[in-house]
Order: sequence, then structure tokens, then C-alpha cells
Amino acid sequence: GSRVRLCVVKMGPVEVQFSLLHMSVYSQSFSPCGRFLAAGNNYGEISVFSLSAALSPDASEASQKPILTFTAHDGPVFSLLSTDSHLLSAGNGEISAWSWVELIKRVGVEHLKIDVSLRTSLEIPEINTMVLSLKDNSLFVGGGDNNIHMMDLETGVFKSTLQGHSDYIHCLAVREREGELLSGAEDGAVRIWDSRTGRSVHCVEIYKYEECSRPQFGKWIGCLATDSDWMLCGGGPSLSLWHLRSLSPTSVFPILGCQRQAAFYQDLILSVGEGGSLNHCLLSGEVKAQIPCTPPCLNTLALNGTEQRVLTLGGSSDQIDVFTNLSYRAFSLSF
Amino acid sequence: MASEALKKRKPKVIRNEGGTPEGKRGRGEGEQSVEIEERRRQSCVHFMMLKKLNRLAHMRLKRGRDQTHETKQKVDVLHLQLQNLLYEVMHLQKEIGKCLEFKSQHEEIELVSTEDFFTEAPAEISRPHITKEDPHQLTLARLDWELEQRKRSLAQQYKTSLASKEKIEKGIEVKKEYLSSLLPGLQSIMQASLPLQEYLSMPFEHVQKQAEVAHHLPPPLYVLLVQANAYGQASDKNLSVFISGDVDEAKALSKPPEDSQDDESDSDLEEEQNTKRRRATLGGQLDDKRKEMLKRHPLSLCIDLKCKDGSVLHLFFYFLMNLNILTVKTKVSPSSQLCGAVSAGELLNPETLLNCLYASDHGRETPNPANRYQFDKVGIATFADYISDLGHPYRWVQRLGGLQFPCDSPESAVTGSALSANHMESTMKLLRGRLQARLALHKQFISLEHSMIPVSAECQDLFPAKVLSRLARWTTITFQEFVELPMVQHVVKAGLAHETDLFFMAVLERGTARLQAAIVLNPRYPDATPLYSLSLLWKGERSGRTDDNLRAMESEVNVFRMELQGPRPGHQLLTNQLQRLCMCLDVYLETESQVCDGVEGPREFPREKMCLRTARGPNRLKPFKYNHPQGFFSHR
Repeated sequence: GSRVRLCVVKMGPVEVQFSLLHMSVYSQSFSPCGRFLAAGNNYGEISVFSLSAALSPDASEASQKPILTFTAHDGPVFSLLSTDSHLLSAGNGEISAWSWVELIKRVGVEHLKIDVSLRTSLEIPEINTMVLSLKDNSLFVGGGDNNIHMMDLETGVFKSTLQGHSDYIHCLAVREREGELLSGAEDGAVRIWDSRTGRSVHCVEIYKYEECSRPQFGKWIGCLATDSDWMLCGGGPSLSLWHLRSLSPTSVFPILGCQRQAAFYQDLILSVGEGGSLNHCLLSGEVKAQIPCTPPCLNTLALNGTEQRVLTLGGSSDQIDVFTNLSYRAFSLSF
Repeated sequence: MASEALKKRKPKVIRNEGGTPEGKRGRGEGEQSVEIEERRRQSCVHFMMLKKLNRLAHMRLKRGRDQTHETKQKVDVLHLQLQNLLYEVMHLQKEIGKCLEFKSQHEEIELVSTEDFFTEAPAEISRPHITKEDPHQLTLARLDWELEQRKRSLAQQYKTSLASKEKIEKGIEVKKEYLSSLLPGLQSIMQASLPLQEYLSMPFEHVQKQAEVAHHLPPPLYVLLVQANAYGQASDKNLSVFISGDVDEAKALSKPPEDSQDDESDSDLEEEQNTKRRRATLGGQLDDKRKEMLKRHPLSLCIDLKCKDGSVLHLFFYFLMNLNILTVKTKVSPSSQLCGAVSAGELLNPETLLNCLYASDHGRETPNPANRYQFDKVGIATFADYISDLGHPYRWVQRLGGLQFPCDSPESAVTGSALSANHMESTMKLLRGRLQARLALHKQFISLEHSMIPVSAECQDLFPAKVLSRLARWTTITFQEFVELPMVQHVVKAGLAHETDLFFMAVLERGTARLQAAIVLNPRYPDATPLYSLSLLWKGERSGRTDDNLRAMESEVNVFRMELQGPRPGHQLLTNQLQRLCMCLDVYLETESQVCDGVEGPREFPREKMCLRTARGPNRLKPFKYNHPQGFFSHR
């Protein structure tokens, strides 16, 4: 792919190697058709990989390289989200929309840029997470200004701001059936919001529960996932499974590192974080397997929704691990 | 008639015979037998007549044939005679034709016309009484006259040219004597002008002497001399070139007579063989062959590069005759006596000083691929064993001498002087840069060993006024020791640490926290950025692999060289990196939450640095970027 960098200085080959050595992948998103993967890194770049090429029987080393790399934002790209036609990327206080059709054609031209007006006097806060609520066709954005912003996807206008957290938002999750939004933040609280009224219905401070809390790591909530009745949350406190109606923890998973992303998959729970391994857990609280991965710390986990089930993991490395079978790493894509 | 008679007879006989059995047997049997007798007699007579006639016919036939045969033979003979005559006629006709066509050479000679001939030629040649009648004699006479004329004129010309040649020879002799008388006069004038030259500082004498000796230099050294002198005169007043070595030996080498050389070498060989028979013959011969192969040309070039601060880099260039490559040895004369710094030992080591002047030019193997075959013959495994003796065969040295080998980049087809000229300026700049970078590093290392990070005035803005972490130790480590460190495995795997690099260990301390930094210093510093790998010992061990914040600190010093390199030529890079590490360590320790046993205990490191936020992003990175002049820390 072509490498378009924003910095004016031409980098020598050793400098390129240095930058690869210090690259971290923070976000991933599959294309609507499921054949392409977009990944965002700490240099503000987005790379598009062709998974169909990398998975085909005559794949070579070149097919594990991106088909397109471009600089999307000034700061790191902490969040990527795909609608059915566009890829949304989050930079410092701004969201850009890129057409998937154009990206697949190797054209990295911005379709739309939305300023989320988070700016303070000295710096622009980051956007850590974006989620779509298909029911009311809106986009929820959470980031460094401690608030959650709701944007209407049709008009592109920010309808409301959900305020309540006292520190920056790490993660969001949507409960479609009930029309609720879950948010986890650095202040250690998980809040449940009613998306119509915009008010915080519940607030759970996870670190106050003895079974989950790990004071040596902190109280921050790094990951959230919900299955309507259940909620997974983890971070400083241990990864734990909560029953939402009773708002109590049912299982606590004995995983050592702080988890940064978790997901429900069929009857399993998958989570990644510090420690560099993909954890397979059962709903009962048992850790079934821990599969080692290339990056020593993992930031993002993404599952493909189409027939060819593929799991990709990114973290503190320029390599993205690809799993075709959840039990072992098949190969790695590299930036 | 006979045949008719025969025909008539036959049927009669048959009739008769046919008739007899039917016939009348009884009556005239006696008549019949008389008739038969008669007939028998007649038939015999007839038979005889037949035979006779037959014979006659045969004889007549034979006679006729013989006659025909004879006449035929006669005709043949005559025919042959006719043919012979015809051939002869044809032959003669051809000969006549040839004779008629014959052009004699004499017809090509332009002869004087007949009237002139008779008027000019003397009587004994022209002989008019004969020639006027006989055209053959006339032509002969005319030819004779022509010959006579030519002889006369040619003889004259020969005499005149001989005379002029002698005259000219005499003239040349005179002039030669005059010139030879001039020479001692000129030399005395030169001697007298020497003090004048020195006074005016125009060293013609020196240049001339050098030019004389230069004639005996091998071609690559000659190219180097010419190009270096040209470059020195044109752009670089601080470059000087000297030739050193044994001129007589060089003269002896260039003498063509190989027989004398062969005799010498033969006698040498015999002597050697005689002496060597007392020791092991095979090894000794191989050793000698090796020495012979690696022999240096007796003359060598010395180029001195003087730097602004007064230190001098001496480069000695040698030409290995049989291998057709140039090698270089170096020596550094620093401007002031360098006080010892333990870790700086390798910095100015003459063996490694010029390593990787151009990327990956290690100078450990000969760049001439043909040498491989030569080495195999005498059992030399690698050239690297002889480098300390013979010097380094760097590729840039070959280029400066105008030598180009196939393994070099094929982009340019230039060789010889053009190749040398193309690379002279950049190589000299790199050499000076290298020396100055190393001297700067040497000075900085002295400070570092005293636990002080020297930050120049121009770079003060990169750091806050108060930095509490300090450099506790600065040591040099070997490649082997480096590779065994656990926190550098990612560097080794990425192929960023080589044996030609220099390796150091810096230990930063604050309170109970110790940060170890393993540093890879590429010989091309400061064009190449030093690479840091960190490991923190504080309440447990963390490294850049396990802790995202330590990784971010590595990134701060490794990736942002444009911020850290300071003013050109970037000698501040290493020290600025160290100072930045100290600053980042401060931020790290002060923003780390100190929780143990569920209670927030007393902070070991009170928050002094001004930070807007202490955590940002999914991996909660600390603010390592210093903003000047506001003085606060923010995230990148």
C-alpha cells in the first residue's frame, strides 16, 4: 500500500523501522462486507487490509501488508466504527467519515469531518469510544472531556450530552432492547443511561465490590460488553460478569492483567488486555484458555460478522494477529 | 530357286509317303523301289546342292562383312585425323588471340615522341640507321633512352638530399650542446630561488617533487592524489596530501625487464628453498605465498584533515598490488590531550573509527570479488584476519581511488577519476563529521561518567528547570552482554543491533526507583539515532514490553530525533535523549498512584510537575511531552 505521512521530514529506512518498533494499534473495524479490515494506530494512521487476500490459499507475504495506509488524524486513532457504507474514525476531538467503497479502491479521501467541539484552552481531549444505536439511528461518542455526546446520524447534529462521570470515558455499550447506554470511565463507575431522556438511570462503582476490586491496579473501567441481561466489565478491577437487573456480580474471572476489551461470543467470553494473551472464559467464571499473541499488551479485539468467522487482535506492536480458529493464531498482518 | 525347289520337293515326298500306305502295294513293288532309289539319289544330290549353296551364301556374307569392316576402320582413322587437326587449329587460334591481346609493360611507359627522341638522344642510343627502318629496334632504343634519362636525374637528387641531411644533423648537434649547457644553469637558479619561494609561500619545489614521486604511484593512489589535491585546492584549505614510502623500491617495481626480476626471484626462491629445507617446507611456502599476495606497494598516501577545533585526522592509504584494492589506516591527533574516559575507549579506536561511514560499509571483507579465488589458492580464509596489519578495505576508499567493483551499486557506470571526484566531497565531509562527532561524544562521556548530563544552552528549552532524576551510572557493554539482556529482545529480533554498533548502559535513579536504559549507538551517530530500551526497577520489575508507559518513554527518546538533535551537526542528540529520559522518569514516578494494602499510602514522589491530565486514552498513558515556555506536560 502507499504510505502517506503527515510529517515533512523524509524518514530513512532505519527511522521507519524505529517507528514500527514503537507502533501501537488501538482500534479496528471490519468493512460491511467483512472482507476488509481497517486498523488505527498511535501515529494517527489508518491502514486497510484485504482479509480475503490474506486468507486465500495463494496468499503471500505481500498480502499481509495493507492495501492502503493514510494519515487520518493528528493524534492517535483510538476508535473506529463501521456503518453500512462508511468508516468512522475518531481523532482528537474530531470524527472523520470515509467511504468504504473508496477505501476498497485504495483512495483515502475524507468524506466528512465532524468537529465534536471538545476543545478546552490548552489541549483537545481524545475520543476513546464510539457506538451506534440502530434503534434511534444515533452515534454515541465518549472521550476525554468526561461526557458522552449523542449525534443523530441522519442530520449529523449533536442532539445531547450525557454528563455525570468525573473522569474520562473509556468505553460504551448499547442495550438495544431497553434503549439504554452503558458507560465505563476512569473514575471507576459504570453508568446506565436512558438514551431518550439522557439521564443516568443507575451508577455502579465497581471498585467498591470486594470480589472485583484490585486497588493495586486502580479503579478505572477499561472495557464493557453487554448481552442485554448481562454485563461484562473490567479494567483496574478484575473482569467480572454482572447481572443487570439485580446489578450484582455473578462471576469474577481470575485473569491477572488489566483487561482492555471484552466481548460475548456464542457461549464464551473473549477478553484481551495486559499480559498479551487472548482469554477464553466461561460464563461460570472459569478461564478455559489463554492463547499467547504477538503484541505483549493487547488493546483491541474485533470479530467478523460474516460466514468466514475471523478474530483479529491488535496492541503494542505493529502486528495484528488473525485467528481463523479461536484456539490458535493463524498469521499476522503488519502495518 | 533352290528354295522353291526345296518346297516343291517336300510336299512331293510327303505325298509320296502318304500315298504309299494307301497305295497299290501289290502291283509294281519293284517299280516303286526303283523309283524310290532314284528319288533317294536325287534327294541326296539335292541335299548336297543345298549344302553347297548354303556354304556359298555364308561365304558371300562373310566377305561382305569384312569389306564393310575395313572401310569403316579407314573412315574412323580419317575421322580421328580430322578431329586432331581441328583441335590444333582451335588451339593455335587461341594462342594467336592471346598473343594479339598481350600488352607489354613497356607500352605504359610514357616515352618521348619519336621526333624529340631523334633530336635529343645521343647517336649510340638512337642509332637512326637501324631504328628508322625497324619499329622493334626503334622501341628498344626509345626505352633505352628513357632509362638513361631517369638514371641521371635520380642520381642527382640522391646527392642533394644526402648533403642537406648532413647539414641538418650538424645543426641538431649544435643545438643539443647548447641545451645541455643550459641545464646546470637552471638548477643553480632554482636553488637560489628556494628561499624566495618560502618567503612567498608558493611551494613550487614541493609540488614538483611530489609530482615526480607521483609518477611512481600505482594508478589508484595516483587518482586519489590528484583528486584530493584538486579538492583541497578548490574547496578545502585544511586538507593536505603527502606521499610517503620508498621511491626506489617503487621504481624497481615499475621496471619492465621481467628477466631480471625473474632471475632475482628465482635465485630468491632457491635461497629460500635451501633454508626452508631445514624447516617445514610446505607451511613455509604457503606463508610466503600469502605474504606475496598481500604485499603492499612501497609508496603510500597520507591525507591529513584538520578540523576547526584543531584536531587532525590522519588517513594512510595503501595499495595492495596483487589484490588490486586500497586500504586505509587512521590516526587521530586531538587538539588537546583527551583525559581518559573509561566508556569512551572504543570511540576513537583507530580500528573502528571509520566503520560504517556509509551505511553497511564494514570494511571487513575485500570488495574485489576476484580476490576470493586468489585467497583460495593460498589458503586465506577471510581478509578480516589481516585488517589490523594492512588496514581496512572500505568501499569508499576504493571509490576515492577510482576503483569500482561489480558488487557495488550498479547505478553509475563511471570509473576512474570521475568516480573519485564524485565521492570526494561527500566522503571528506563524512570523515570530518565522524571525527568531530566522536570527539564531541568523548567529551560528553567524561561528563556522563561523572553523573552529569551536559545540556547545551540551545537545548535548555526542551526540558523543565527542575529535573530530579539523575544519571547514576554510565558504562559501556559488549555486543554479547547486550544481546543477553531481557528488555532488548525486540531490538535484536528486528535486526537493529549489529556487532559494529557500540553498546552502553545508563542507569537513572530517583529515590528507590532505578531505570536501566540499554543503548545501541550506531557508528553513524549522529546521522543515526541511538536506540533505547528501558527496564524499571521499582516495586517490581517492568520493562517497555510489559508497561505501556515505559514503551511511551522509549518512543519519546527514539522516535523524536528532530526535536532532540539540537543545532547542527546534532552532537547534542545523545545527551538530550538522556535528559529527556530523566524528565520522563520524573513524570512517571510522580503520576503513579501509590496504593498498597487498599489504602493510598504516603507518596514517595510528590507531584511537582504540572500536568493537565495524568491518564489519557485506552492504555492510560502519562503526559510525557513538555511544553515550553508554559512549562506543563501534555500528551502527544
